[in-house]
Amino acid sequence: MAKSVSTVDIIAQDEAQTLADVGVQIRPDEAQVRSGTYVLRDHLPLCVQTYREGLEMLPIAEALRRYDWLRERYYWKLISPDQDEVTAQVAAEAEPQGYFIWVRRGTRITRPAQAGLFISHEGWAQKLHNVIVLEDDTELHLITGCTTGRAVRSGYHLAVNEAYVGANATLTMTMVHSWGPEVIVRPRAAVVVGDYSHYVNNYVSLRPALDIQSNPRTYLNGVGATAKYMTVILGSRGSIIDTGGEVWLNGEDSGAELVHRGVCTGGKMYQRGFLVGNARCRAHVDCAGMLLDPGEEGFIESVPGLRSFHPEARMSHEASVGKVAPEQVEYLMSRGMEEHEAISMIIRGFLDADIEGLSAELDARIEEIAAMAGHGERK
Amino acid sequence: MSSSTGNILEIHDLHVEVGGRELLHGINLAIPEGQVHALMGPNGSGKTSLMMTIMGFSAYKVTRGQIIFDGRDITGLSVTERARLGIAIVQQRPPTIAGVKLRAVLDYIVAHDSISAEEVTQLVRRARVEEFLDRDINAGLSGGEIKRAELVQLLATCPRFSMMDEPESGVDLDSLALVGSLVNQLFVRDSCRPVRRRSGLIVTHTGHILKYIEADRAHIMLDGRIGCSGNPHLMLQTIAERGYAACVCCMVEGDEHGKVS
Repeated sequence: MAKSVSTVDIIAQDEAQTLADVGVQIRPDEAQVRSGTYVLRDHLPLCVQTYREGLEMLPIAEALRRYDWLRERYYWKLISPDQDEVTAQVAAEAEPQGYFIWVRRGTRITRPAQAGLFISHEGWAQKLHNVIVLEDDTELHLITGCTTGRAVRSGYHLAVNEAYVGANATLTMTMVHSWGPEVIVRPRAAVVVGDYSHYVNNYVSLRPALDIQSNPRTYLNGVGATAKYMTVILGSRGSIIDTGGEVWLNGEDSGAELVHRGVCTGGKMYQRGFLVGNARCRAHVDCAGMLLDPGEEGFIESVPGLRSFHPEARMSHEASVGKVAPEQVEYLMSRGMEEHEAISMIIRGFLDADIEGLSAELDARIEEIAAMAGHGERK
Repeated sequence: MSSSTGNILEIHDLHVEVGGRELLHGINLAIPEGQVHALMGPNGSGKTSLMMTIMGFSAYKVTRGQIIFDGRDITGLSVTERARLGIAIVQQRPPTIAGVKLRAVLDYIVAHDSISAEEVTQLVRRARVEEFLDRDINAGLSGGEIKRAELVQLLATCPRFSMMDEPESGVDLDSLALVGSLVNQLFVRDSCRPVRRRSGLIVTHTGHILKYIEADRAHIMLDGRIGCSGNPHLMLQTIAERGYAACVCCMVEGDEHGKVS
């Protein structure tokens, strides 16, 4: 399945750097660190490579031509084209863009696969439909980096993401976004998780767009299925960021944990986490926000929610919003740190407090957010 | 490298406000290089405020007067700048910071100061703080554990002037020997020549800590002023026998006779 042409030959250096900032590594020894690569510039798939048996990555249009079952069983089956304006626009595309990722039964892949989706033209509207299928007894970590070229200020990122996780399988999605200041971002995502399977959803937004709405819905249909969401957002002046997600706990003994950490340096930030208990289950939502020099109109609104249909659904939520305490900053300064270094250390602690097992990619992004937030305060 | 006066710290007519209320009313104090002074006085007399002001914490606003460190006016400097000149503090109740580990602070010190990672590891072992390294800083620790964790940070930065706010408070007797020996180590510059040492200011109520670190001089604070200064042992003895009430009388008499400087 591996091809001889390297992705390095296809992707220009400045674009490779832009992608690297969102966790997508285009480099000669890529096969040593990644199991597959898909890169889409505007509407053009630049490269599709896989380095692992049992893992298939294809442009969605090609996959639809190749596999009839994709349309029959998966394509537009979790999300309906008439759900809203975003899905309608994606459905109206004559030739759908996006990726299809298929992990065949029994394939457990330790190295992450990566998908880079970037906008290189000012004002471009990227309309994507992505489908992921993990068969039984599989494992995949997918890093999705979405970004705009350095000079691009505005554009649209509209996406429909459908993911199917079979039994005894684990899908980890790490999405890193870094957008131009006037980009509008509307992913619509749904995931279905089978018996004894796990879905991990990490979302990190570094350079916030004008307007982001991302609230993926997960259906834990299988017995013992679990979901874990980790959302880390840096909001800045003028942006509207509405992120979090929903988990429907339909399977017996399913479980979910939703963690949202937001740092607001301006702009409007909504932190969501909604749990629906339809079975005996355990789930918790934890939203925490920190206001760091938010300006006059900046705010954080935390909206954790629970809806229970089952007497043995044990669900809980917590939310808190606060600021960086000056006595904490000065305490660290008294050890010789600059103010911005102290703030970065505190933000870093805030962002990964109580989170275990961060992936290296996520860890690096959080470090970056902490550093940016620290410099923001200094003015 | 001390100033021409030989004083590492000089405070002139220092007035300090917290939340719009004046807490220090014209403090004068000089600490010669190489000396450690003790600061005593009843609760609320301004001891903590004085230390926090010397460190530069922003809640303590200097409305009049000067703080001179090593011949340089530091009254307007930031906490960072003061720390980098060699001023350090062990607060009585340092803040906890969620997610920030003691290890992260020590790593920062190793990256920016001259101490090596191996030396810090040794300090950590000696102060018995290994098990707190990966906990949130100061969270869920006993009084003695907090002091040890704080002292490790100070020992790693080797400050020229260390301040300690009641280093024995909340420390049980077993722990006191270790805390005392760490405090002692902090002021020793050259173990072969104990006379040469670093400078500091220690707030103590009980004087227990002075069994481990010899103070050259003591000052008693009363209501935001330094009432009198003298031999630490004699003063502790007097306070133990007669309490601070005697100091108040002494001060009032002094005022009447115009003797208090």
